[in-house]
Amino acid sequence: MKVSRRDLLLGTAGLTAGVFFTPVPWKVLDDVSIWTQNWPWIPQPAHGPVTTKLSSCTLCASGCSIRVRMAAGFPVGISGAASHPLTQGALCPLGFAAHQLNWHPARLREVRHHGRSASWEEASAAFEKACAEGPVAVIDGRSGRAASAVLQAFATKHNGSYEVVLNTEEKSLSPCAQWTGVPVNSLGYDLENARTVVSFGAPLLDGWGVPGRFTHLWSERAAGKTDPQLRLIQIEPSLSRTATNAWRWVPICQGTEALLAASLAKILIEEHLVSSPGPLPPASLTEAATQTGLTPTAIRDLAYAMVERRPTLVIGADENPAVAALNVLLGSLGVSGGIVKKPATPFAMPQTSAGRTPRRAVLVDSTVPWEYIAPSGAEVFRFAAWDGGGNRADWLLPAPGFLEELTDLPTPPTSAVAVYGIAPSLLIPSAQLKTAAEFAQQIDSTLPTVDQTIHARCEGIFHAHRGSVNSEKKFPVAGFESAAKLEEALRTGGIWLEDSSSAAALKCSLKEWPTDSPTRVSGNWANAWAAPVMPTLAAKLYRESSLRETPQRSQS
Amino acid sequence: MSDLVIIDRRFIARGEERASTMKFMLWLVPWIAMLVFGIYAAALCLYYGLNQTNMDNRFAFGLWIFADLSVIAMGAGAFFTGFLVYILKQEELKPVLNSAVVVGLVCYSGAVAVLMVDVGQPLRAWFTFWHPNTHSMLTEVTFCITCYLIVLILEYLPVLLRNRQLQKIPSFLVFEHQFHKLVPVLAAVGAFLSFFHQGSLGGLYGVLRGRPFAFREHFAIWPTTFFLFILSAIAVGPSFLLLVVATVEGVTGRKLVEPSVLRKLGFISGILLGVYVAAKSIDTIIWLNVTSPSVGFAPWEYYAYKPFGSAILFSEIVLLGLLPAILLILPKTRAHRGLLLLAAALTCGGVLLNRFVLTVQTLALPTLAFDDFLKYTPSWQEVATFGAVIAYGVILYSLSYRYLPLFGHSKGEEKHVSVG
Amino acid sequence: MSARYGMVIDLDRCTGCGACMVACAVENNVPTSPARVTDRTGLTPMLVHKVSNGLEGSGHREVFIPVACMHCAHETPCVSVCPQQAVEVDQETGIVMQIPQRCLGCRYCMTACPYHARYFNWWDPSWPPGMEKTLNPGVATRMRGVVEKCNLCHARLHTAMERAAAAGKKEIDMADYVPACVEACPTNAILFGNLANPNDPVSQAVHSPDTFRLLARLGTEPKTYYKSHQAWVRALAERSPNGHVTEAQHV
Repeated sequence: MKVSRRDLLLGTAGLTAGVFFTPVPWKVLDDVSIWTQNWPWIPQPAHGPVTTKLSSCTLCASGCSIRVRMAAGFPVGISGAASHPLTQGALCPLGFAAHQLNWHPARLREVRHHGRSASWEEASAAFEKACAEGPVAVIDGRSGRAASAVLQAFATKHNGSYEVVLNTEEKSLSPCAQWTGVPVNSLGYDLENARTVVSFGAPLLDGWGVPGRFTHLWSERAAGKTDPQLRLIQIEPSLSRTATNAWRWVPICQGTEALLAASLAKILIEEHLVSSPGPLPPASLTEAATQTGLTPTAIRDLAYAMVERRPTLVIGADENPAVAALNVLLGSLGVSGGIVKKPATPFAMPQTSAGRTPRRAVLVDSTVPWEYIAPSGAEVFRFAAWDGGGNRADWLLPAPGFLEELTDLPTPPTSAVAVYGIAPSLLIPSAQLKTAAEFAQQIDSTLPTVDQTIHARCEGIFHAHRGSVNSEKKFPVAGFESAAKLEEALRTGGIWLEDSSSAAALKCSLKEWPTDSPTRVSGNWANAWAAPVMPTLAAKLYRESSLRETPQRSQS
Repeated sequence: MSDLVIIDRRFIARGEERASTMKFMLWLVPWIAMLVFGIYAAALCLYYGLNQTNMDNRFAFGLWIFADLSVIAMGAGAFFTGFLVYILKQEELKPVLNSAVVVGLVCYSGAVAVLMVDVGQPLRAWFTFWHPNTHSMLTEVTFCITCYLIVLILEYLPVLLRNRQLQKIPSFLVFEHQFHKLVPVLAAVGAFLSFFHQGSLGGLYGVLRGRPFAFREHFAIWPTTFFLFILSAIAVGPSFLLLVVATVEGVTGRKLVEPSVLRKLGFISGILLGVYVAAKSIDTIIWLNVTSPSVGFAPWEYYAYKPFGSAILFSEIVLLGLLPAILLILPKTRAHRGLLLLAAALTCGGVLLNRFVLTVQTLALPTLAFDDFLKYTPSWQEVATFGAVIAYGVILYSLSYRYLPLFGHSKGEEKHVSVG
Repeated sequence: MSARYGMVIDLDRCTGCGACMVACAVENNVPTSPARVTDRTGLTPMLVHKVSNGLEGSGHREVFIPVACMHCAHETPCVSVCPQQAVEVDQETGIVMQIPQRCLGCRYCMTACPYHARYFNWWDPSWPPGMEKTLNPGVATRMRGVVEKCNLCHARLHTAMERAAAAGKKEIDMADYVPACVEACPTNAILFGNLANPNDPVSQAVHSPDTFRLLARLGTEPKTYYKSHQAWVRALAERSPNGHVTEAQHV
C-alpha cells in the first residue's frame, strides 16, 4: 500500500488528537500527581480517635502538669495543664516535644555491660554479689519521690548509703539549710510575696525552678512596666534572657558575685539600710568596684535599690554562701516574701544517709545527671532511658522513658508551698525496662513497691485533712469520701496543694561572713542540660535558628 | 575508524567543507564530558533533593534561575531575527536566521531542562496548566515558554530535514516544502509569545511588593520591568547572535556571513540598547526617589553592602549599557570588528548583570528591620548542571553546523533558506 | 459570618524561651532535623528572632520577636504569585492556606514574602524509627520539595468547627480554637482572636498606640500585630523609619 504524504500528515494528526480522547494521558497525569503525594517512604500519622489524658512531665524535678493527646495508643501532642497551682499551665520548650523522646535514636533498650549486650539476670546477680561484698551507695537525682523512699529503704536495709545529687536550685538553698538546720528540700523561695528579687545569675525567666511559676509572676507584675510591682534585678556578666527582661541588669565580671555580695552587705550594714547588725564582711568598696567592673556609686545604688521595696529575696545561681548570706542580712529568712520553711508533708520523706567508704558498688537512678562521676573503684550500675554516650558506668540499665513509668511528684525544689501529684504512665513499657526502684524491690521483695508507697502517701494526705486537690476545680481534702477517691483524683491529673499558712520563723546560726568559695555555676537546661538527650525538635531552637546556643552537658 | 569517517562524510552536505572527523570528535570530547558530569550533578539533585544545592530559605532562587533568565534573554535573538526578517522584511539578515533558531532552541530547551531540576516536584510541573493562576506572572511564563519551545522545535525541524541524508526520504522532503508556508505564521506567533514571556520574566520581579528593591511602578497590570526586560532582550538578542556567529567563524576559520550582516545586527542591537538605557535610567530615577521611599525603604540603603555597592548600578547602566550602545551606533566603531565584538560582549554582560541583580541581589538584601545582608555561593552541583546546558548548546550547535546548512545555500543546492 | 483571625504579640512579655517554636513544630508534624540542617535551611513555621538595638554599653537593649506567617489581608504577596494556585486566602477565616499537595516547589512565593515566613522542604521528611507514631493525626505530612508555612493551626479550627456543629451552634467557641503557639506561651504574650469581632479582646488590643505591624508601609495588611512600650522596638516596624537605615541588628 502506498502511503502518501497526505496519509502521513493526517495519520499523525489524527493519532495525536485521538490519544487525548482516551483516558490514558489523563489517568497517567492523575496517577503521577498522586504518587508524588504518597511516596511510600513518607510516614503518615496514625488513624484513630484522639483522647486527652492528664499526667505530668518528668524531664526535671518541676513536675509540670501536662495534657497529653493520644491517638491509637500513642502520645501525639502535649500542652500544659492549668490545674497545677505552680505552673499556671506553662511548660518549658522541651516539654512540648518530650513525648517523642521514647523514640530518640539514643534510646537505651537493652542491658549493657562494658559495652556489650547483657541480661537483667546477669545485672541482678552482679548487684547482689556486690551488696554481699561491701557497702553500696544508692544515688538519687530527684529525692522525695515514692521511688526515692524505696531506694532509701533498700540502702538502709543493706547497710548502704542513700545520697542525693542536688540540682542548682537546691544548691542555692544549701547554705541557708546549713545555717537554719532545716533540710534543703523543706526550704523554698516565697516569690509570690516578694517585691524585689535580686538574682545573681540565676536564670529565673529561662527554665529556673518551675518554669511557669516565676514567668507568670513576672508577666503579670513586671513585664513592660517602667515601675513594676515586682522588681527583678539581674546580676550577671552577659545579657541573658532574664537580664534582658529584668527591671535592671547589673553587668559584673565573671566570678565576682561573692565579692559584690560582700561589699553590698557592708553598705547595707554601714549605712543602716538593714535593721539586723549581721555579720560584717571584710570587704572594701574600691576593691569590689575594681574586680566587678562596676563603679562604687553603682554598687551603692544597687544596695539602695535592694532595700527600696521589701520584702527582698536574693537568689544565687549555685551554692554561693556569700549571696545566700545577703538574705540573712535583709531579714528574709523565715518571713513572707523571703526564704521560707514548708510545712512537713503528711507522709515521710526519705532522708540522706552517709555510708562507709570505699564503696563496693553504686546504684545510680535515672534521674541523676548524665555526667555524674561515681567514686572510683566502685562498680557502677547506671539506670537511664537514653544513652548519652561517653558514660563510664560498668552497667547501663534501660529504664522506662517518658510517660512510661508510674511516679509521683513531690514538692519541686524552691517552691514555697507543698504540693503533691501522681504521674500515671500512659504507655506500657516493654518488659525489658525497669526503674532502679523496681530493680531494688525485685532483689529485696520485702520492700514496698512504688505503687504501694504512693498508696500509703495518699492515705497520709487523706488522714491529715489538710489542703485541697486542684483539678478542674479546687476540692478540699476534707471533702473526699475516702483515701481511694483522693488517690483516684490525684492519678487523673489532680494536684494536692497544702493549705497556706504564715511563714514559720527560722533560727539562723550564721555568725561570720562566709568566705568559702562558691561552687561552679552549672546553669539551666538551656546551656547545661543534665539529661542524656534533648527532644529532637529542640533543635529548632539552636540549630535551625539563632535563638539559643547549642546546649552543653552539665557538670555536676 | 574509517567506517566512521565514511558515515560522517555522508551526512555532510555535498560540496561543503568541514573539519576532519577526527578533529571534530576531539572538539566534542570535552563538551561531552562536561555534559555527562552535569547530568550526573542534576541526577544527584533529582535523587537526593535540593539540599544538594546551596540554595536556602532566604536564597530561594539561585544560580539556576539566574541562568534561566540569562539564556532566555540571549535566546531572544531567535524570535527577534525572525520578526525582523519576516515581518519587517529585513532580508539581509536571512543568512543568520538558521543560526538564530538553533541558538534559540538550545537556550529554551536548556532553560526548561534546568527548571525541571530546579523545582522541588518536577512531576507536578503540569499543575500549572491544570490550575493556572491568572494573576501570576509565572503562569504566563510557563504557558508562553512551553508554547514557544514547541514553536522553536517546529522551526528547527525544516533545518534538520535539510540534512543531506534526511532529504533522501521523500516524505521528509515533501513535508519540509509544505512546511514552508507555515513559516511566517510561526515567526509571528513566536514573536507574540516571546514578547509576552520576555516581559513576564521581568514581571516576575516587578510585582514583588514584598521586595522593594525589585518592585516597580505599574502600567495597567504590568510593572515597568516587564517592558524593560522586553527591551533588553531584543537589544541583547542580536548581539549574542553576532557573537555566536563570530565565534563560529573564528573556530571554523571560515567566513560564514558578510561582515555587513554582523554590523547590521550590531546596529540594531545598539539602537535598542540605547532606548533601553534611556528607559532604564528614567525607571531607576523614579524607583529610587518615589517608589521605594513610599514603602519605607530609603533609596541608597540598597547599595550599602559590599560588594553590591552603587558601582553595580553604574556598571549596569553606563559601562555595560550606554558605552556599548554608543559603540554599536557610531559607524566608525561599529566598522571595527574588534570593537564590534567587544561592544556585543559588553551588551551581553550588561543584560547578564541585570538578571543577576534582580535574582541574587534582591534576595541578598534585607527586608525586615532586623534582617541581615546574606551571601550565597552556588554548590558544585549547581555549577555543573549549568555547565551541562552550555555543553549541550555547544554540542547541538556544532552538530547543526556540521551536518545542516545553517548559513544558507551551498554549491549545487537550492538557493533556499528554510525558516526563521 | 466570616472571621479574620489574627494576633497581637506583646514583645514586652516575650522572654525568647522558644516554647512556641517547639509547640508549633510538634503540632504541624515538622520532621526531625537532618544532620546538615542550618538556620537557613531549617523548617520553623514559627521563628523567634533575637534583635538588638545596635548600641553598645549601657544603652544596649535586646528584644525577642516571634515571626510566623502574617496572613496578609491585602494583595497577599504569596497568593498572587503562585503559578498553580497552591496558596489561597480562605474568605471565611482570613487564613492564608498553603496546599502542599499542589505545590510544585518553584519557591516563587518564598521570594515574594517580605517576612521570610515560608520554608522549603529541602530534604525528604524522616523521623527516627518509631517516632512517626507520635505524629499529630490532624495534620498531613508533607513531601520533599514543597513549601510550607504557618496555617494558624487549621486542624484545631477544624476540630472547633466540628464541636460547634455537633452542639448545633453556628459560631465556634474561641476556647476551642487555640493555635499551638498561643497555647504554649508561658507568659501569655500572644493574644489570638477574631479581628472581625468587635467584642473580641484582640480587636480591641490592636487600637492601642503601642501596637504596630512589621513593614506596614508595604501595604500587605498583615494580621499579626506587635505591641511594646519601648520606642526603639516600635521603630523596628519599618526598615528605614526616619529615612535612615535602621541600626537594629539580628543577634
